[in-house]
Amino acid sequence: MKLIGAFLALCVYLASGENCQAPQVTSQVYTTSEVHVSTETVVIITFSVQCKNGIKDLNLYAEFDGRNLPASQVIDSDQYQVSFSIDHKKLPAGQYQIRFFDEDLFANLRKAQRSGEDTASIQGLFTIGFSHQGASHGPWIQTEHVAVLSSVLLSYFAYSTRNQLQS
Amino acid sequence: MKLLLIVGIFSIFCVVLGTDNENARLLASKTILNQFLVEDKDLTVQYDIYNVGASAALDVSLVDNSFPDSDFQLIHGSLGVRWKRIGPSYNVSHVAILRPKKPGYFNFTSAELSYLPSEAATEPQLGYTSAPGEGVIANFKDYDRKFSPHFMDWAAFAIMTLPSLGIPFLLWRSSKSKYDGARAKKSN
Repeated sequence: MKLIGAFLALCVYLASGENCQAPQVTSQVYTTSEVHVSTETVVIITFSVQCKNGIKDLNLYAEFDGRNLPASQVIDSDQYQVSFSIDHKKLPAGQYQIRFFDEDLFANLRKAQRSGEDTASIQGLFTIGFSHQGASHGPWIQTEHVAVLSSVLLSYFAYSTRNQLQS
Repeated sequence: MKLLLIVGIFSIFCVVLGTDNENARLLASKTILNQFLVEDKDLTVQYDIYNVGASAALDVSLVDNSFPDSDFQLIHGSLGVRWKRIGPSYNVSHVAILRPKKPGYFNFTSAELSYLPSEAATEPQLGYTSAPGEGVIANFKDYDRKFSPHFMDWAAFAIMTLPSLGIPFLLWRSSKSKYDGARAKKSN
């Protein structure tokens, strides 16, 4: 009985050794800041993962807004990158979270997606949060319009005052 | 009847030729997402890879050597990445941000792709992305002249118009107050 217990424990240990334990993530996020620079809002997340059990070369997947994004590995580096483009209107300014999964956890996510279940409850490996300042279209009112408006107002004021005086 | 038979055989022939074999087949496109290409402003390059084959593509690597260091600076993302596996009918996208160092014409050429089309394959399959073609990188000064809000210029203009508006106004005000003062004295 004890032997069976020990054997099972060993199995669990070995199995868990294949997955990343307690990942430490350092990340850098870029989001489009100006509409002139890109016709769609682009989000680039470059990150590196340190696993407590020293596993490298992970197969990671990200999930954002229902889209599954496989993470790419930067050649000659231990960094990973996830990038996607989305319509400007669909990503307004704000704080966002993107979940990351390893192979096994991603299989759970895919199962939930296929069966139409709520995917928000699926446990991921880690989450990276980022804030998007919004893709600016330029100032709300252009300065030329402000100049024209103020000169029109000024001339109207002058004209009406003159009429008042002359009447 | 004969025509129908010929058309039938021809279409079967086409279908047989057109069906993919069991291997993966990747199609890749490279697009520049910018509305305007301007010196010293971000240039967004997007790469899309589609697996139109029947099996997963393994050890996919995308390398773009078409941006020389003398002309472009890499700001975000990477120009050399790899994916372990792209499944059949899947697509992945990759984006990099660069900054042009010089204005002028630039021919945007293809990036290189390499992958193993099946698990049994030993030789990597090489391919290229589509090329966006030639683009013009505008001078920063020209872009700025056209698009920046020019706050300082308008403020300077407002200050310059002050004398031509202000002096007559002040003259009128001073004479009006004198006249009103005289009238008040007279009526008293």
